[in-house]
Amino acid sequence: MKLATVNPFLTRSISALFAACALASTAVGAVSRGFDRLLNAVVRIDVRELTFEAGAKRYSSGIGSGVILSDDGLVLTNAHVASPRAVEVNITLASLERVSAKLVGWDHWTDLALLRIDLAEVKKRSLKFAHADFGDSEKLFPGETVYAVGTPYGLTRTVTRGIISNNRQFLVDSRGINGYETGQFNTWLQTDAAINPGNSGGPLVTENGKVIGISARGFQGANNLGFAIPSSTARRIVSTLAQEGVVTRSYIGLGLGALQDLEVFYSLALNTGTLISNVDTGSPAAKAGLRGGDILLAINGAKVVGRFPEELPGIQNLIASQPVASTLKLTVKRGTDTHDYSVVTEKLESRVGDEWVLEKWGLSVRALSRAYARENQLDDMTGVLVIGVQPGFPADTAGIFRGDIIAKINQLPANTLDVVKAAQGAYEAKPEPTLFEVQRNRRVSLFILKP
Amino acid sequence: MINLLAAAIREVVAAVCDRRFSVRRGRAFGGHRPPLQALIVVALAVPALRAAPDLPTLWAERVKSCVAVEFVTELETERMPTATMGTVIDSQGTIILQSGAIDPRVATSQLKDFRVHLPGEAASTPAEYLGQDAFTEWHFVRVADAKIRAQLVPITAFAGTGAPASPSLAEFVWGIGLRNKDEDFAPYIMQSHVALLQSLPQRTAIAQHEVAAPGLPAFNREGRFIGIAASSFGQSFLQFSRRASGAPVILVNVEESSAFTVATEILPHLNRIPKNVTGRPIAWLGYYGLEPMDRDVAKFLNLETQTGGVVSEVLEGSPAEKAGLKSRDIILALDSKPLPSLKPDKVLPTYIEREIERRAVGDTLTLSVLRGTERLELKAVLADEPKLMREADRKYFDRIGFSTREFVYGDAVDRRVKPSSANGVIAHFVKPNSPAATAGLRMDDWIKEIDGQEVKGFPEAFAKLSDIEKDQARPEFVMLVSRGGETAVLRVKLK
Repeated sequence: MKLATVNPFLTRSISALFAACALASTAVGAVSRGFDRLLNAVVRIDVRELTFEAGAKRYSSGIGSGVILSDDGLVLTNAHVASPRAVEVNITLASLERVSAKLVGWDHWTDLALLRIDLAEVKKRSLKFAHADFGDSEKLFPGETVYAVGTPYGLTRTVTRGIISNNRQFLVDSRGINGYETGQFNTWLQTDAAINPGNSGGPLVTENGKVIGISARGFQGANNLGFAIPSSTARRIVSTLAQEGVVTRSYIGLGLGALQDLEVFYSLALNTGTLISNVDTGSPAAKAGLRGGDILLAINGAKVVGRFPEELPGIQNLIASQPVASTLKLTVKRGTDTHDYSVVTEKLESRVGDEWVLEKWGLSVRALSRAYARENQLDDMTGVLVIGVQPGFPADTAGIFRGDIIAKINQLPANTLDVVKAAQGAYEAKPEPTLFEVQRNRRVSLFILKP
Repeated sequence: MINLLAAAIREVVAAVCDRRFSVRRGRAFGGHRPPLQALIVVALAVPALRAAPDLPTLWAERVKSCVAVEFVTELETERMPTATMGTVIDSQGTIILQSGAIDPRVATSQLKDFRVHLPGEAASTPAEYLGQDAFTEWHFVRVADAKIRAQLVPITAFAGTGAPASPSLAEFVWGIGLRNKDEDFAPYIMQSHVALLQSLPQRTAIAQHEVAAPGLPAFNREGRFIGIAASSFGQSFLQFSRRASGAPVILVNVEESSAFTVATEILPHLNRIPKNVTGRPIAWLGYYGLEPMDRDVAKFLNLETQTGGVVSEVLEGSPAEKAGLKSRDIILALDSKPLPSLKPDKVLPTYIEREIERRAVGDTLTLSVLRGTERLELKAVLADEPKLMREADRKYFDRIGFSTREFVYGDAVDRRVKPSSANGVIAHFVKPNSPAATAGLRMDDWIKEIDGQEVKGFPEAFAKLSDIEKDQARPEFVMLVSRGGETAVLRVKLK
């Protein structure tokens, strides 16, 4: 499997023709009362988002699917359908009526986002909708019939049928969601029910209409290799997002590998421990003295088993579920010695930092994250990353490129977005040549941005 | 020819290409009517021209300075033949090849079977590879057979007396090309006029049309040696086809070049024949990344029109570090000589490298730098450059399916670790679908442990892997490798 070809299924810029077709299409017949009810809980989601990549503020729009989970209008969809950058979210109910919604929270790690329908508007217009219920994804078996419901290519209320192809598929999506990491903490449901762009965020359901997954991905160019986030994960994330708006996780910096066939080499009984293949530089685990090649036997006394790749997301999730700043006791085997290590967890951060656009300079920037600094082996966290320049604007004219790191502006360290915003504020008030110190592939260059 | 192409692409002169196109587009040199004054000059020059032999005569003599050089690069699982061209520089049968003729990653020990063809001759003669000079970047090759040596004429025979001939704008120039091997490298003539003279940083003449094959000499009308053709520059074209209308493409002529390095940059350095095949000693200062500072920045820093280069990193244990050079220092002068203003400014790093390499190990180089608002004079004693990749020990293990190579200073710099504390070895080559490849080993992986034991250096890795390779009973072994700052445990299954 070529993982790089996994694509989040989200339709962008659907033509008017497709939208018209969508309105003309009719729903497929129901198979049960529960299924009928489910159909009335599936919605189409139209999102307009702010983007910064062009060195200017721009908007992008997309269509996805979602499922209403409660009478108070909570709608579950994918994080790659609706993100915190959404400026406008419109929901098309099963009745084909449109109503606006707001983002409650999102979690790119599991590719889930929670929206709330504007209830005041619903009440005012006396709109009706049903809500769907979760089923138990743990009880699914390969071969079981499932249905995907959603809005592929904007074709509203499309039902496709298939089976569970694999109820516990291990899949690392290296591309993530616009650079945001995803998929490390859960396995996936794999189905051959047709999932197309626009199905994203729609439910995968059993014959009685219970939501057992949220359709999210498919292999481009493959035949019916679709993937959904299991309801066991979704249920947990929904309750946290509804209460707190974010999912806070712990990080210690372990990259795990399946032991598969290495038990003899490490003198281990089968189904004992998991391989630590990597320890992030500067992470809590590294500080505690853990190294690549160690074997993790237990966390806080509870044994872990990572013999197969499918077992690894569960272990990562166990670590992530610990409270931030708590002390974990990791039992680790190195050579013939077994030793306990105390590791203090940190808050898990995204690779993608906050973004902003400095319009006068035609320059889009992103705060550096620890993960980005680590992956790019940066010496420190000073600087902001250039994610876009607009041709013909001062940054472009000076010779600044996408991917550069702005380390200093007028010889002051550009530590945070606020520093950069203030520098542009000063420039706006009094446009004067401004000195930029930029790092490009470790090389330091100086540039002048001229009014 | 592929090597030449690589060299062409490596050239740092993209901006010059642009300039050259405008010259081409103008085509002013051929068409316009010379003013009266020029006519008079031409009239006066006529007797002198008559005195010079005709071109075919000059050509027939000067072809003897040109050779085709064939060699084989012996890699782990294949032999790659290469044909390139060189110029004879002395009566000992010494030949220089341009820097791009040989891949810098290849170990000297992998270069085999050097043979020299005289133009138009079917037979070839063995030659010895003498090494590369760091300053000129030329590779030196010497013909073994005295009888063949006697048939060659060094380029110095055509240098004339006094200062080397220097081309002037619009001057007629000509040079030699060689056909392919199936035509016995038959020599042919090319001719053009000089369109532009630039310092890149070496003085380079750019003619309207191709003048000579890269590595072969160019001459003026009188037959004086005037330069050696460099790798040619890319030229932009628009490509029209059924699929694309007007798609921009850059084409590089790898067989013929219109750019040549002028004789003043060549004749004084012909004595730089390496004393040994490694080309050592190589003068070294020890910084990484030097970026030219543009005019706006200079003005902002109150340096007016001064040229400067910003130092990105100072390498551990280097002469630069010992001299107190710091990251972000701006170098303004070397030995009190201000850095020249070069266009395009991206040739500045090459200028500074050459200034270092032309000096000897042990020489003191004074760097005038700007640090913040402070001006400093730093004295660096140049050292011999740490072991290069091409000099690193290496060994190929065919059954396991990869080559291991000694971890050298440059590997530490590439991986952003301190050279003094880095252990391990590098996977230099991984044989496709071998046990090592199947285990997930990739080229340039940094092997830190073998079978759970830290690998200190090459001899240790060599011993361990030799034992594994020999042991037919062994089912597997395990390596801890680092790639892009992350580690992975690889299990190599042997049976």
